[in-house]
Amino acid sequence: MGSRRENALVTWLKTEQGIAQFDAALALRPELRDLYAAFYGKLWDDELLPSSLLEICRLRVAQLHECEAELAVRHEGASVSEEQIRALANWQESDLFSEPEKAALTLSEKVPWQHHDLTDEDYSDLRTHFGEAKAVALTVGIALFDANCRLRLAFDTDPTPIRATRPASSQGPIY
Amino acid sequence: MSTKPRVSSAIPGEEPSFGTALAHQPGLAGAFGMLYSTFWSKGALDHRTKEVTRMRNARVTDCGY
Repeated sequence: MGSRRENALVTWLKTEQGIAQFDAALALRPELRDLYAAFYGKLWDDELLPSSLLEICRLRVAQLHECEAELAVRHEGASVSEEQIRALANWQESDLFSEPEKAALTLSEKVPWQHHDLTDEDYSDLRTHFGEAKAVALTVGIALFDANCRLRLAFDTDPTPIRATRPASSQGPIY
Repeated sequence: MSTKPRVSSAIPGEEPSFGTALAHQPGLAGAFGMLYSTFWSKGALDHRTKEVTRMRNARVTDCGY
């Protein structure tokens, strides 16, 4: 991805510190940035779902987008091992993920580029493993991970490695 | 595309829809509502530009809703 960045024509978000980070880019519209943080942060703050589940879904969506800036963010508190992260690209064949996690990864796999291929059975599996309310939270979360990647790629933000206590918080930064 | 709703309505008496599905998570629904309504009611872009891009995005993603 280095060559893509070197050849990038999108330089309009450069700051004095270099290419803008994601949060700094969003902060160009402060009110929307704060409301976006409140929305995205709620997913992490309220612990609607296990952070490890959200983290593997976030990283899988980022892999599918080839979004280096999103992949550079790691959620330290999520208890996802490096071995699991390496296995994410072939999660279907891996025994490192539970059945509920695989149901969630099925949704993660399809939302970015294959949303019309999501089946009633896929969603039924989600409801079976998580219940309806948590399935809704997971769907919102995966849609936000997808949106984040699209925003980062559009802004061409810098893939600086970040180890955060959580990717976002209603009252804190968005990494 | 599914021919039946995958998520029930969380609001008694209302048909399943985008809003009533989100209502299963009131906190997320409220935060989304604040963000999306502010996007439409305020900001640097005119309504026509927002609507044109919304419609084009729906077409590109083949979202008939």
